[in-house]
Amino acid sequence: MDIVLLLLVAAVIAVVLLSALYVRRSDGRDISLTAKRKRRLLAIVISGIAVTFVMFLVALALGSAGTMSVSDALSAMISSLQNGVRTVDERTVYYYRMPRAIVAIAVGIGLAIAGCIYQAIIRNPLVDSYITGVSSGAGFAAVLAISTGTVFGFAIGSSFVVPIAAVIGGMVALTITMFIGEKAGGSSTNYVLAGVVVGFLFSAMQTLTLAFSGDRLRNAVFWLYGTFQNVNWSEAWLVVIPVFVMSFLALLWAKELNLVLLGEDQAKQAGLNVKRFNRGMMICASIITAICVAFVGIIGFVGLVVPHICRMILGGDHRLVLPASIAMGGFMMLIADLIARMAIQQSELPVGAITALIGVPLFAFLLMKKGRMYDG
Amino acid sequence: MAEVPLLELIGLNKTYENGFRAVKDVSYRIGSGLLVGLIGPNGCGKTTMMKCINRMHSITSGDVLIDGENITRSTHAEMAKKISNVPAELKTSFGLTVLDTVMMGRYPHISTLWWESQEDEAIVDDAMKKFGVDHLAGRLLHTLSSGERQRVLIAKAYVQEPRLMLVDEPTSHLDMKYKLEVMEYLQYMVKKDMTIFVAEHDISLMARYCDLCIIMKKGEIVKIGPPKEVITSELIEEVYGVNASVGFDQDGELYIIPKRFRSKH
Repeated sequence: MDIVLLLLVAAVIAVVLLSALYVRRSDGRDISLTAKRKRRLLAIVISGIAVTFVMFLVALALGSAGTMSVSDALSAMISSLQNGVRTVDERTVYYYRMPRAIVAIAVGIGLAIAGCIYQAIIRNPLVDSYITGVSSGAGFAAVLAISTGTVFGFAIGSSFVVPIAAVIGGMVALTITMFIGEKAGGSSTNYVLAGVVVGFLFSAMQTLTLAFSGDRLRNAVFWLYGTFQNVNWSEAWLVVIPVFVMSFLALLWAKELNLVLLGEDQAKQAGLNVKRFNRGMMICASIITAICVAFVGIIGFVGLVVPHICRMILGGDHRLVLPASIAMGGFMMLIADLIARMAIQQSELPVGAITALIGVPLFAFLLMKKGRMYDG
Repeated sequence: MAEVPLLELIGLNKTYENGFRAVKDVSYRIGSGLLVGLIGPNGCGKTTMMKCINRMHSITSGDVLIDGENITRSTHAEMAKKISNVPAELKTSFGLTVLDTVMMGRYPHISTLWWESQEDEAIVDDAMKKFGVDHLAGRLLHTLSSGERQRVLIAKAYVQEPRLMLVDEPTSHLDMKYKLEVMEYLQYMVKKDMTIFVAEHDISLMARYCDLCIIMKKGEIVKIGPPKEVITSELIEEVYGVNASVGFDQDGELYIIPKRFRSKH
């Protein structure tokens, strides 16, 4: 049995319990709600980091290339970072499992944040991170690239061709959506409707492309389901850096995201330039989505459900919901990817299906308990 | 030279895109510390005028001055420190609590990056006690009764510390007791050196509480003055086309009883 893992898990459970106790502790007097939410934030940050870190080590230890103990994985990670790769274990950990785990965390964070932003500015709980048609645009471009084997004459050989095509496709879709939404009057509902039709357009073109893609169909379909397979370091940075920059931006505007929940007029009278803010946030969230989709395909559910789960537990304040979505999105995607690559030997399951399988029971449970918060 | 009024409108016009002139060449000056009632039939331009003052609507022509400063070209952020508004209805869910909502009233004044400062928290705490919503702090906004929700919205507008507060039909969903309660809260706030505009259909209620009435019809001002002087049965007839009896009770309070709808001549 892996002693280090047991100790780590025990430590994490202790951290989570202690932070839960800290939130509830009252010192015999009434703590104000304002004090309570500060404690909640601290608890979220600390437990989020602890839980994700241990899961990350587990992800480094497990895999088809051979399972090692968590302590071995940890030492392989540290020594490969310090002295470069020397052993087989270090090679597995450093070149395959680390970038993959990091990208999984980043994509989970990105999709959760993007979903959270869209839900707030559109004030519709059914919205997910793919609402502006970006994913369909990216999907179409990627499928086109995979099934024709070229993008603008460049051979598909380079691993960046498909992601680059997808980002371009996503941005084209976003531009069309923004243009239509703007012409329609620029309200958030206009953007959603524009996004929906643009999404349909690109989905249709994608379907047609698939119909003509012949023996490359399998590759294209597998890409569409979403996978973290074959993620390497150079791709990892291209996902991680933009996602972290955009998430940071979203955090900076957490108060404004609260404000738009009260409706356009109330946000405006409080001094917020609502149209500009919504447009900026929409672009920010769409860029995150396009990048995530470009590198790992379309992974559903996280962007829809993670923000809701956080809201149902913590209430509507984005200064709690955003950090919690970051913690939960990263963690959930990491587990989903681990299950996707470990569940059956010699093959991988589509991550999107796993995220749904994990998320649905939790979501349904919370919905039954706290669904009333969405009334009215 | 006369004292600078809190609010001055100079030739305010608002024409909608469809050509409808909602506000026609309105000019007046209003001093500080007054509860001002806007009275007039549906569609007479009360709400439009208020929305032009805080620039929810663009102004077709004319100027709005607050404390002598022309605000027609200032940003929303600058406006928010001077004018707050209480909407007639606020629909929101998404798990915002009463505390979250009132705290958002402080938004124009917040300089901290993440949480509000202790000073902001103290102001909000104080306001919630004053308007009797402190015991609701953790409740979700849409689970409140209409009266409670109205008090929350007033508390939110109050912590914004404006010079001018615009209140649109605050009592339309409330029973008698809560109507009086809301008006008394408004009256209390006026004493704090701000002026409040309140648009409302219950003229007796307005006459009882307002210092000044602005009577509007078809986008124009019919009369401005203290309610007991300007509200007469002739005026009601002229503005609403309704036959009403206007009188005073034994305490000298004005009351209006609409009697019969009469089409004009």
